[in-house]
Amino acid sequence: MADLQLDDVTKVFVEDDGNEITAVDEVSLAIDDGEFLVLVGPSGCGKSTTLRMVAGLETVSDGAIRLDGSVINDAKPAERDIAMVFQSYALYPHMTVRENMSFGLEESTSMPDEEITATVEDAATMLGIDDLLDRKPDDLSGGQQQRVALGRAIVRDPEVFLLDEPLSNLDAKLRAQMRTELQRLQEDLGVATIYVTHDQTEAMTMADKIAILNDGQLQQVGTPLECYHEPANLFVASFIGEPSMNFFDVSRDGETLVHDDFAYDLTPETASELGDHDELVLGIRPEDIELRSTQDDTHSYETFVDVVEPMGNENNVYLTFDADSTETFVATIDGLHHVEEGQSVIAHVPEDAIHIFDRASGTALRNRTLDTQTMPEPQL
Amino acid sequence: MDSLRNSIKRLNPLSASDSDFFESMPFWLPATALVLLFVYGAIGWNVIISFTGWSGLGQPDYTNFTLEMYRQMPSDPNFMASLRNTVALLVAFTGVSLVVGLGLALLVDRKIRFESTFRTIYLLPMALSFVVTAIFWSWMYASNGLIDTMLNGIGLGWLSQDWLGDPRFKLAAVIVALIWQFSGYCMIVYLAGLRSIPNDHYEAARIDGASTLKLYWRIIIPQLRSSTVGATVVLMVFALKAFDFIYVMFGTNPGRSADILAVTMYREAFSSSEWAYGAAIAVVLFALALTIIGPYAYTQYKRGAL
Repeated sequence: MADLQLDDVTKVFVEDDGNEITAVDEVSLAIDDGEFLVLVGPSGCGKSTTLRMVAGLETVSDGAIRLDGSVINDAKPAERDIAMVFQSYALYPHMTVRENMSFGLEESTSMPDEEITATVEDAATMLGIDDLLDRKPDDLSGGQQQRVALGRAIVRDPEVFLLDEPLSNLDAKLRAQMRTELQRLQEDLGVATIYVTHDQTEAMTMADKIAILNDGQLQQVGTPLECYHEPANLFVASFIGEPSMNFFDVSRDGETLVHDDFAYDLTPETASELGDHDELVLGIRPEDIELRSTQDDTHSYETFVDVVEPMGNENNVYLTFDADSTETFVATIDGLHHVEEGQSVIAHVPEDAIHIFDRASGTALRNRTLDTQTMPEPQL
Repeated sequence: MDSLRNSIKRLNPLSASDSDFFESMPFWLPATALVLLFVYGAIGWNVIISFTGWSGLGQPDYTNFTLEMYRQMPSDPNFMASLRNTVALLVAFTGVSLVVGLGLALLVDRKIRFESTFRTIYLLPMALSFVVTAIFWSWMYASNGLIDTMLNGIGLGWLSQDWLGDPRFKLAAVIVALIWQFSGYCMIVYLAGLRSIPNDHYEAARIDGASTLKLYWRIIIPQLRSSTVGATVVLMVFALKAFDFIYVMFGTNPGRSADILAVTMYREAFSSSEWAYGAAIAVVLFALALTIIGPYAYTQYKRGAL
């Protein structure tokens, strides 16, 4: 078991016409032994390229990748003691499940045949695919193929698992099931894992640590709750969370944030966190907005219900400040709390839940305060 | 118009599918009739002639049928030699063309520069007719032709031979020329097969620790099975039909060492006027072609590809 470290890793692709494209820009990350790191970001943000550099499928333009302290930039994929699960599973169609799973052991180790057979069968039993060993990949369902792909990685007993959007080809229900199963498997095996996805739900639910990438640059590394409650910048705030955070462009006037439709008074303590930044973005998570019937507070505003999306357990209510306006923001309320479209409601935006960002740089100047000053510890 | 058709339909006791059959007739009947008459009709007539013993001037006698022609074959040294040559040509030409084509495809697939230029160069011989290739290669093989000149040029002059005269080299010379013409075709078929293998398989195999050799041997080439089968069928059929090539190079009598069934058939029928014997050889040739195509067509049908 080992820890993996990326130091200022950069990948520059040179196009045929000589144009240089920086796909990954000085990314530094550390994955401890047994840790589950999720690399998340929109399409084309460089997350897959980063993973492929760790796998040895792409060269590293600059920086260093260290496994257990030794640089592996130039090592061949086979020499890195890693195993990878591909988005397409990349199972060899002409081989049976058993052959698919033993291929890596046959090629990269000198393990005797009986031992390979035993290892493969153990892994297959663990994944519940022991009755499929003599089938070909084409005869398997998507979920079964997924398990075979995992099995192929597990038998290698690698130092690091690399998973490239492994669940994206499954239907929603199976995906949720495999998410839990993968997490349990990773905990049982205790192998450092890098998991690439564009799905922030996967990132939130599975990760010990999330690394958010955008345009090749690392935006934030932290636990899921840190990234959710204390986003480093506007991008992270908007990317993590569904429905995403509401943003309002505001200008600062003393201790008041002025928006076209409202003014938001700050306490002196909050205002002091903003430094000399004047052009700001006010952010509030949908679930932090409270809908009330009476206006009894300076942070309450009259709004109109535009659209209601009932989810069952909760309602997403799209609100406007003006009955005719199409600019909406969203509040998430309890599913049993009934609101009508067109109805006028009072939206309360509590000050301890607001985030304030510098508009030009996007940097978070002030994040919400949490009741417990530190991150919640797991309770037994 | 519609009411007219409806009243016809009412009068017509046939079911809807039967009426579809008749209504669509003008579209498929002419072509089907022509194919039936000129392809299957001709094959059938040829089979009948092979049972008649027709030879020389005069008309075939359709009243007396005999298997005599087929009985003669095993004891005819010319027939046996050309059967042997046909099989040798079939196997050697097909095998080597596939190997050369696969090799070229693997090289061209490695994202080389000027890929499309190479592809065109390799495929070009395929576009030439057998007649052109045959004349071209008979110049190459001639004494003081390109091959001998080249051998002399690199100091291997002692290797030069009478390629087209020596019975030991005749058939080999033909096979080499045919391989030159068809390996480009194999390359294209394999290239298409290679392009359909996802890049992930190469990468997964590299992560699995396979060397380049093992990668191709265990992962890539086994996945080219359907390309191989398809190309093999086409090549074998071409090999059976290599008549024009040998005819242009050697005329109707290439000698036993380079005789193939197609040439023997032509010679028996049109030079010796042994019409029935020629027809019988044609039937053997047809049977050979069927044994090659049959299993392929059957498996394709099973897979629902036909």
